[in-house]
Amino acid sequence: MNDNRPQRPAFLKPGTRDPEPGTWKPLIPQPARVPQVHLFQAGGKPHLLVADGTRVFGVDREVFERLDQASSRGDRAEVKRLLQQFGLDAPPFVTDAPPESFPVRALSLAVAQKCNLGCTYCYAQEGDFGGTARNMPLEIARQSVQRLFEEAAPGERVQLAFLGGEPLVNRPVLREATHHAVALGREAGVDVGFSITTNGTLLTSEDGEFFERHGFAVTVSLDGVAEAHDRLRPFKDGRGSFEHILRRVRPLLKMQKRMQVSARVTVTPRNLLLRPALDGLIELGFHSVGFSPMLSSPSGCGQMQPEDLQAMLRQMIDCANECERRTAAGERYPFANLLTALQEIHRGTHRPYPCGAGGGYLGVSAQGDLFACHRFVDDQSGAMGNLREGLDRHSQAQWLARRHVHRQEPCRSCWARYLCGGGCHHEVIHRGRPACDYIRGWLDHCLKAYVRLLDRRPELFSSLRPSSPVFSAPSAVQSRPAP
Amino acid sequence: MNKIEPKNVSAQLTYRARGNPPSTLPVAAISNCFPGLEFDFRNIWRRIFVGLVMHEARPQVVEVEEEAPDEFQTLVGELLVSVDGEQLWVPVTGPEAAGGPVQSLGFSNLEWANALANILQKAGEQVQCVFFDPDSRQATEVLLQVRRVFDEEGTPVGESGVLARDLAQPGELTQSLCSPWQNDYRECACYYWAASRPDFVNSETDAGGQTAGHNWLHKDRTPDTPKFYSLRQSDMVSYEDLFRNWEQLRFVIGGKDEE
Repeated sequence: MNDNRPQRPAFLKPGTRDPEPGTWKPLIPQPARVPQVHLFQAGGKPHLLVADGTRVFGVDREVFERLDQASSRGDRAEVKRLLQQFGLDAPPFVTDAPPESFPVRALSLAVAQKCNLGCTYCYAQEGDFGGTARNMPLEIARQSVQRLFEEAAPGERVQLAFLGGEPLVNRPVLREATHHAVALGREAGVDVGFSITTNGTLLTSEDGEFFERHGFAVTVSLDGVAEAHDRLRPFKDGRGSFEHILRRVRPLLKMQKRMQVSARVTVTPRNLLLRPALDGLIELGFHSVGFSPMLSSPSGCGQMQPEDLQAMLRQMIDCANECERRTAAGERYPFANLLTALQEIHRGTHRPYPCGAGGGYLGVSAQGDLFACHRFVDDQSGAMGNLREGLDRHSQAQWLARRHVHRQEPCRSCWARYLCGGGCHHEVIHRGRPACDYIRGWLDHCLKAYVRLLDRRPELFSSLRPSSPVFSAPSAVQSRPAP
Repeated sequence: MNKIEPKNVSAQLTYRARGNPPSTLPVAAISNCFPGLEFDFRNIWRRIFVGLVMHEARPQVVEVEEEAPDEFQTLVGELLVSVDGEQLWVPVTGPEAAGGPVQSLGFSNLEWANALANILQKAGEQVQCVFFDPDSRQATEVLLQVRRVFDEEGTPVGESGVLARDLAQPGELTQSLCSPWQNDYRECACYYWAASRPDFVNSETDAGGQTAGHNWLHKDRTPDTPKFYSLRQSDMVSYEDLFRNWEQLRFVIGGKDEE
């Protein structure tokens, strides 16, 4: 079905949606008034985010109102002067200069550019990236692993990710590459983390034991529970896949100790009911559950439109409120999008890029070509050399210069730019930035939730580290949910 | 004064609390590598008793807090000799010179952190304090309240790292701070600067077990400078060298000068 004309979700009451095209209003108005600051109320008190350095302050009424007035006028010079006056200025955290080079710290291997599912929106066009379906030969996988260790010094950590297509189509190469990485890591004194993103249909208990033994972060693509999933992720013959996947995932969910089995939901206009999906997947025992809006698909199918993103924002906030309530009560409710955002806000994460793609993270195609990430496989706009001749440093330097958030519009004038990083390169290059209001609305909510939780449960943040039971989230390179 | 509260980690790292000099920011301070040196820890004892301001290193009253009862004024200049029965001064005996007879060498005060270790358990309570006037040689007993060192509001007991607001006035924690541009930096001997300034650097041990290296104050040293621990004034960094060129001091990493 061509879902360019999205179905109206049933949960939305008449009148709460269905505006005329071009007249819809953001759920929470978050205009990018000035790029330096974002003002918000949380817990009944005024707060300030200074974009550079992602610095969060509680402020008094006077500070809030004077900054609010200046930013309402779009008066950047006055905002700058006020920040100086209040002692809130600091040397720039992010400069215009892109990094000259990155050591490669993470590789994803497209071990199988083929897939047994027929998801209409798939960026990999049902697995083959629009080309010939193929498996990665063992030699290419071995060379990739060697490449990963070339720039790693003893004591450092690297990440090896398996993607596709469906990577378990090529199980022998996946396993051999893992063994090779373990051996090289041991030899070089380099710690190596493993991850796989799978559709779950081919998982076996033996896979589970293998992943458990090597501490894999396993991400299973599930677009909801039961029919919600089956609508979007059918087998190629049209049969639903949910029950089939569940039978195969359950043993892994039970055996996860070192391994973390998480669910990733791609949100399209046809599965906008997020809370039942979140609760259902958490109840099944997934280590965490994250949502990503489908912003760009090769066919245009399933792409989220502005009104869909507004509906999604409402649902995300509903999920976040429940997560905040449970977290404040000391319960584990692993809604990855919120918990990851809270971690990043607490640290003050500020990034000139949305992710490590094209920098410390590269994707390797089945034929051994290097790309900016797993999504760019066989896409010349993200080509970066090959294993045989090495990383194309010139292409990488150009990429890092061009993709820097200071070079992006409208990012340069947006307060959320260092939390967002400018949005997924692949989606932006192929569709643009249709989700800015959604992202700002979501980050605004996360900032408020952060301040409220910090006030109520400060001790949660004193132990913000991967081992924290409340905040633990998947560590796989590619599994950071979109903001 | 506007109220601004840094919430997250990056805000805390860059926010300069009122009264503090620029050197107290981690990015600007020597403490960016050596946490703990962003303020002079001894200053937390100055206001440990409500109403009085003590000397940071000696149990002696230097002034009285504004809200204190008028009669506290008579304590200025007096020595605090005991708190809740714990003696703060101890008699010292020993030889005055090597090989000399053991004799009484007067009294010495205990360092604050050791002297008050037990008293800190009584934060918020009143304790009996005995003061001694060195001029009149009279003792006075006064009940004083012990302040809390940490602000533990909203934090499990023992886990707060935030100093209580009324323990120091703006700017007081950085008074007497050891900084490269102050005399103390050169005067401090072993241990105080141990992390940044091991006093014996570039050392090498030969096959016979003999060790040779450089004095940490040896200026203009290179890997080729003969390895002996020079104490010649002409070899050593002077006070003026420090004041003018403190930023040229090199880090010592793993016992060796950084390249």
